[in-house]
Amino acid sequence: MIAKPQWFKRRKYFGWGAYPATWQGWLYLAVALVLIAIIQFIPITSQLKIVLTILIALILIVDTAIIMPKLSKDERDKKHEAIAERNALWAILSVLVSGVSYQVASSAVRNDFSNVDWFLVAAIIFGLLVKAMSNLYLDRKD
Amino acid sequence: MKTKITFYRNQLGMTQEELATAVEVTRQTIISLEQGKYNPSLELAHKITKVLKKKHIEEVFKL
Repeated sequence: MIAKPQWFKRRKYFGWGAYPATWQGWLYLAVALVLIAIIQFIPITSQLKIVLTILIALILIVDTAIIMPKLSKDERDKKHEAIAERNALWAILSVLVSGVSYQVASSAVRNDFSNVDWFLVAAIIFGLLVKAMSNLYLDRKD
Repeated sequence: MKTKITFYRNQLGMTQEELATAVEVTRQTIISLEQGKYNPSLELAHKITKVLKKKHIEEVFKL
């Protein structure tokens, strides 16, 4: 981890992740973005450019994933976030299930299931499994 | 839930920020508690009662 949690604040109203709260946080983000920009102009192969850009993006994503749980949240914040996450999940699920249902129904009419996006089906099934496991774990925990 | 947090906090000359820091929550949580909008956990209610130097939770929080 390169960034420190105290450089950032939890994003509250829009999206997921964190945003810089101190000059160190802004500097960290600026350096990452400048590096990505520089990579696009240096004389290397396009494949290497893609690899290096993905590498920096990965560092940003991993850093965010490590920082997020360390950002302070009190019980009210946690409750609000849990409700917001649940609502977001229902919105995502509604779109996913509608899309998959349409794909399956239209495929069934043509008797050709090659148009069904099985990654979406897997995402829904995996979500169901994670929910069941979470409920089981939480029931046993307290 | 009705609370007497504001009353006891003012008695101690404590700001919302100071109370929030003492019980490890945000100032916004203290504001919500004082306005009776948010019901605290038992743990937080205990902490607030202790910081406000009261013996019983019922002195600070009422249903």
